[in-house]
Amino acid sequence: MNSQQRDLERIQRWMQSVIMHPDGAAAGVESKAARDQIDVNSRDVEQVVSRSKNLTSLERLSIYGNAYYARLLECLHEEFPALHRVLGDDAFDGFALEYLQAYPSESYTLSNLGTKLPRFLEETRPARTVDGPDWADLLIDVARLERAYAEVFDGPGVEDDQLLTADELLKIPQDRWPDVTLVPVPCLKLMTFTYPVHEYASAVRQQADAEFPEASPTYLAITRRDYIVRREQQTAEQYNLLGALCDGVPLSQAIEKSCRHIADSEDFALALGVWFRKWSVAGYFHRAELAAD
Amino acid sequence: MIPAPRLGHPNLGLGIGLRSVHYPHILEHYPDVDWFEIISENYMDSRGRPRYVLEQISERYPIVMHGVSLSIGSTDPLDRDYLAKLKNLADQVNAGWVSDHVCWTGVAGLNAHDLLPIPYNEATLRHVVARIRIVQDILERPLVLENPSSYVTFADSTMPECEFINRLAAEADCGLLLDVNNVYVSSVNHDFDPVEYLNNVPHERVVQFHLAGHTNCRTHLIDTHDGHVIDPVWELYRLAHRLCGGVSTLLEWDAKIPEFPVVHSEVLKSRDYMNSELAESVGTTEPVSSSDLFSESPATVPHPAAYVKAEVE
Repeated sequence: MNSQQRDLERIQRWMQSVIMHPDGAAAGVESKAARDQIDVNSRDVEQVVSRSKNLTSLERLSIYGNAYYARLLECLHEEFPALHRVLGDDAFDGFALEYLQAYPSESYTLSNLGTKLPRFLEETRPARTVDGPDWADLLIDVARLERAYAEVFDGPGVEDDQLLTADELLKIPQDRWPDVTLVPVPCLKLMTFTYPVHEYASAVRQQADAEFPEASPTYLAITRRDYIVRREQQTAEQYNLLGALCDGVPLSQAIEKSCRHIADSEDFALALGVWFRKWSVAGYFHRAELAAD
Repeated sequence: MIPAPRLGHPNLGLGIGLRSVHYPHILEHYPDVDWFEIISENYMDSRGRPRYVLEQISERYPIVMHGVSLSIGSTDPLDRDYLAKLKNLADQVNAGWVSDHVCWTGVAGLNAHDLLPIPYNEATLRHVVARIRIVQDILERPLVLENPSSYVTFADSTMPECEFINRLAAEADCGLLLDVNNVYVSSVNHDFDPVEYLNNVPHERVVQFHLAGHTNCRTHLIDTHDGHVIDPVWELYRLAHRLCGGVSTLLEWDAKIPEFPVVHSEVLKSRDYMNSELAESVGTTEPVSSSDLFSESPATVPHPAAYVKAEVE
């Protein structure tokens, strides 16, 4: 028993600095952050943490230090399986450890642990040495995709709602198209990638062999149906039209804006019908809204 | 005033910690389990499959909420947004009660996602009791707090954990979740007698028991929740049951999770230890038992690691 007890906040800030230190508890005790709170060196740490019959104080603190990174790495492995496969164990864990130091968790839920990983990879990407897409672009693409999957999986959805059908949409007379806007479902995310990483990510999740993809501009619509995340590749024109519609641009204006260069082609009207049928089946739109007469 | 047994809560019987790998089995078979305990943080923000599954299950089974991020012992301010969501979820699933741990999980705005121990002394007791009262006011129900497994003790502690928890429960008028495995793990790690601990907790305030497996690292035990309950823990459970009477019992299995029937059969073993004679070996603090597995891994991960993986087409 100490005659003068330490302030609890000091003990907690000290212990947190020790167990979160990337070089282990001994280095953590010696760190400035820890010594600013409680000024003991690693030989005298027994003044704060008692030893047990079998373990020294430092060994006991190391249990928490080892567990801190191991637990969070385990969660990042779960959230980013494809990024893990691309990088391999050592490189993934190296990136993840740096990430956890740059962006330690500030959330009560582990669901938010990977939120800033794509941003971290962008911030720390090496300078480009080649024209065009490089390895770092691939890593960032994979991380963005897997984070999007996590957000769509547990975010708002429309499983209980009646969605807009193709028939309902195609029944709207063409002369009303300037007044029609489509309301997207809240789980729809439109994303562009430098690589077709969705196919690679799916192969990894199915525990199949997967080749690293070649760079190729990729447009994805990611949504959720029946509580499972779905992704569908789009053409550039489809992606642009979807984007305009999701921004609330009226139907005819969105078509004009996104597909001007193909709108005059003979097959365009037919293609448009096919697109809308496909998007209705995929459940991208909640409803159509007509401007008041 | 002596509180009502279990603070008036019912004995729900034998329950299982709900884990996402078991969703398909539960929804298909609706097994004959008495009740489920959920990790609160996995559901309070969910608007996807976890929350949908919970709604299905809560229509058929009693639900109890168990959190890992309340951080009741932290010196950071209480997270009011978190508490509002916790209450909202408790109301929506008609939770039997809401529990968390006597611990802190982070300070200075960070979350280590671990259940970190506090020194046990008069000042920390006042600190935690004051925070429990605030939480109980916000939740509009008594909080139930669990004794943690721990791996360090502090030079600034002036009382044993059992005394701290005893006084904390009385002064804050809260319930206790007595984790029998945690008592055993900490008794080995900190060289105390687990029987004395069980004899001295306020039995009338114990609302729930936890059982789980742990990992024997030769020099210490780690609360990994990754295997069967070992015999010395079952013997402590037998004693705890005799001391506390009928109390809701819950098995946690959080890593290397087997098929649902294996987990279910594990908790059903509890019946063998109720209303039966104490074994002579009860209370052993030997860290090594024949059914223990040894781990040499320096990165053996203690509970909790509660992440729900996305399902993608």
